Amino acid sequence: MTQACHRKCVPPHYKDAELSKGESVCLDRCVAKYLEVHERMGKKLTELSLQDEELLKRVQQGTGTA
Amino acid sequence: VRPRPVMAAVPPPSAPDGPEPPPLQYSLLLQHLVGEQRRPRAWDPAALGGIPSPPKSEEQKMVERAMESCAFKAALACVGGFVLGGAFGVFTAGIDTNVGFDPKDPYRTPTAKEVLKDMGQRGISYAKNFAIVGAMFSCTECVVESYRGKSDWKNSVISGCITGGAIGFRAGLKAGVIGCGGFAAFSAAIDYYLR
Repeated sequence: MTQACHRKCVPPHYKDAELSKGESVCLDRCVAKYLEVHERMGKKLTELSLQDEELLKRVQQGTGTA
Repeated sequence: VRPRPVMAAVPPPSAPDGPEPPPLQYSLLLQHLVGEQRRPRAWDPAALGGIPSPPKSEEQKMVERAMESCAFKAALACVGGFVLGGAFGVFTAGIDTNVGFDPKDPYRTPTAKEVLKDMGQRGISYAKNFAIVGAMFSCTECVVESYRGKSDWKNSVISGCITGGAIGFRAGLKAGVIGCGGFAAFSAAIDYYLR
């Protein structure tokens, strides 16, 4: 996350030691988006794994009774 | 041949028609990592970053946030503009002498009181103008920079155009356009000099 947001938001002009207002605003937004995408992907992954699990159960029950 | 499942860590089916088979360990793991059952952790920025530094206290963070806000910057520019305008007005009042002119006696030197009053008036009027212009420019620049999320030369050009346009617009559209262009060029020059 640090690398991605640094690459996107902090251009390589090193005249000032402090983060300027534009850069800090950009970093806020970048981190918020990253965390939200991370959470959504996690939820989607758990959903997919639950689907896979149900499929697996059905396969096992199908082959178990057959 | 029974199709082998590709998932990792599958528990063996204990009773096909009995109680519910236990959930996949993979999905349990995912719940704990990124799902509902994540444990909240307190991040220590001093430990996360590269160079360890003492953590900032809440008051320090609040003060820094206030000092970086747009309102504070605009107020600072306003006060600075007021002081600068006052000095400029007093200075030009000393150069441009048209005070205390008596048509009956053109060679009369003005009294000290008249001169001081003129200097005060000019100083105040210049100071007010500079303060307003400075506050407007600083405020628009801060807002534009927050919107764009970048900090480069275009911010001062855009806000110079907005400020000059707003000032000149009161005297008509053409004056507004000229003011926009002039002020934008002026702030671009100052920015180029400062960077």
